[in-house]
Amino acid sequence: MFNQRNNGEGFNALAYLLFNFILILTLILCVCVGSVNIPFTETASVIWKALTRQAVESSSYTAIILSVRLPRVLCVALTGAALSISGAAMQGLLKNPLADGSTLGVSSGASLGAVLAIAFGITIPSLPFSGTMVMAIAFAFGSLLIILSLAYKLDYSLATNTIILIGVIFSMFMSSIISLVTTFAGEKVKNITFWTMGSLAGSDYNNAILLAAALLIFGTVIACHARELNAFAIGEDNARHIGVNVKRVRLTILICVSALIGVCVSIGGTIGFVGLVTPHIVRMIFGPNHKRLLPASSFCGATFLMLADLIARTLLNPLELPIGVVTSFVGALLFIYIFYQSRRGQG
Amino acid sequence: MKLFQKFLALVLAAAMTMSLLTGCTVSGSETRSPETTEAPADADAQTDAPTDAPTNPPTDAPTDAPAGIIVTDMMGREITLTEPATRVVALTASDCEILYAIGAGDTLVGRGEYCDYPAEVFDVPSVESGYEMNLEQVIALQPQVLLMSTMAQSKEQVESLEKAGIQVVVSNAQDIEGTYEAISLIGALMGKDAEAQAIIDNMKTTFDDLAAKVSANTGEEKTVYFEVSPLEYGLWAAGNNTFMNEIAEMLGLTNIFADVDGWGAVSEEQVLTRDPDYIVTISMYFGEGPTPVEEILGRTGWENVTAVKNSAILNLQNNELSRPAPRLADGAQMMYDFVYEAK
Repeated sequence: MFNQRNNGEGFNALAYLLFNFILILTLILCVCVGSVNIPFTETASVIWKALTRQAVESSSYTAIILSVRLPRVLCVALTGAALSISGAAMQGLLKNPLADGSTLGVSSGASLGAVLAIAFGITIPSLPFSGTMVMAIAFAFGSLLIILSLAYKLDYSLATNTIILIGVIFSMFMSSIISLVTTFAGEKVKNITFWTMGSLAGSDYNNAILLAAALLIFGTVIACHARELNAFAIGEDNARHIGVNVKRVRLTILICVSALIGVCVSIGGTIGFVGLVTPHIVRMIFGPNHKRLLPASSFCGATFLMLADLIARTLLNPLELPIGVVTSFVGALLFIYIFYQSRRGQG
Repeated sequence: MKLFQKFLALVLAAAMTMSLLTGCTVSGSETRSPETTEAPADADAQTDAPTDAPTNPPTDAPTDAPAGIIVTDMMGREITLTEPATRVVALTASDCEILYAIGAGDTLVGRGEYCDYPAEVFDVPSVESGYEMNLEQVIALQPQVLLMSTMAQSKEQVESLEKAGIQVVVSNAQDIEGTYEAISLIGALMGKDAEAQAIIDNMKTTFDDLAAKVSANTGEEKTVYFEVSPLEYGLWAAGNNTFMNEIAEMLGLTNIFADVDGWGAVSEEQVLTRDPDYIVTISMYFGEGPTPVEEILGRTGWENVTAVKNSAILNLQNNELSRPAPRLADGAQMMYDFVYEAK
């Protein structure tokens, strides 16, 4: 089923069925297990009643499952999918195995946008969270433009090291501005501090719908450019030679990526390494063809982040770990492994 | 290369001007400091000695009359002052509050950036505190005493402050008993022992009164949940070994997160299961969107929490229950009124 690596085709229906099966299995596991022990039968009956629109008696169990756990798991899954597909797209577009929202400084740019929105109380009436979201998306896109144009100025070939170096420096620059804003934010310091720690706790269905809409729109656009991304992955000149409109495709993908990262950051804060790690794992299993890489990345990203969140929610019960701690722990180890492997390959 | 040299020149120039500026401010404050020398105190002692007790040898007078203040701070370090401190820098908000409460607010020449009570404290120049503490800022203010907590300062920082002639006094109250200790420590440093004792007695009376009233009230034991950070930024609650927990116990309430040590990011599910009778939030309100109480009342899934059903939510906005300061008594009183009087 998976051994048709280089025929340029995507997955067949059976593979998608399997992905969905694993995804839903993980989702059920994550809804059933949590900080509070709820019997499986109870969980199943509550969910069943909610799905079939029967009246559910309001008890603390129903509140926990329907208002706390389910929306959170959904948000986590969608965030994981969105971050992973943007990571995969950027790695292909920039021909750079280390590209990701967090290594390129896009996430910290988005954070700065959100922090500014909190500090100056920028809100759009009747839409809660929208101030932080719009600012986060705008700043994510701005950061991406700055980083890439700077990289082009310095090194037209967009070498891995140049981009990562600029990304890391840009990240630090953004964090310093965040600290600066925090210093001047006076009484709102506490809010900003808690926000920058990042948390998907308190996610609700509105957040899930927003994430789903963003993933549906921008994720689909990215997935439709799989062929162009394959061409980019071989080389930008190569892409131009086979007739890809390099400028237009690059701009489209960058806009989609910044929108996805911006939405994710404004809802869950910066979650490091998911976008970096998942595409690599997927590439090892399914090969580098973007027709497979992009959908598989989003499925695996969703599963990976749901499991990471499960650990974050239950490991120190009744306390919660920041999800970034779990993803960064696993992610950093894998990052080092990949870096080591690729260096050894070169030498 | 040329660009780099230009840049270097610019940096050097900036460094020069900075050092000149700080040089100026230091010498400026030096000229102001002699008003606090010992000369007048000595003169007093000498004129007193002959009139009161002419038979006494004159060497006795200086050791007896202006007897130096010796205190032990809350790290067990011994501090000796020749006379009550008149120039103080306090880095923590609670120490600032204590200084003002014992009537020594006028001695404050510098405050930590997060000190915000009482309002007069904003007239005092602010210095960076915590991990960002800036030695030069503190030294330039030329205090005799620097009050701080144990949290963020390294041994090296303390040593260089002491080399600069500044006595470092550590107040490190972790409970109400420790708060009394901090108040009497600061009282002793400032020569305001009586005022400090009065504050402590006042606090004790308030607490004893409340405890007595509570013990007379024999209902079933109620639970309380202390929210430190709202849901939007991830829930944080106050657990065991916090002032809030201590006050809750005093008021006959059980903290639902007594199994958590200190402050912690807690699971929303746990709050719903542990179903608190009362919620106390210390979120601040900035005049935008719903107030902290409205925000909690509007949370989905929280409709069945007893405190939400009864709208039994108290918002303590001004750090009444999070600092080891005299206002702990006010906070306790507010909580008592909220739990027992507001029915």
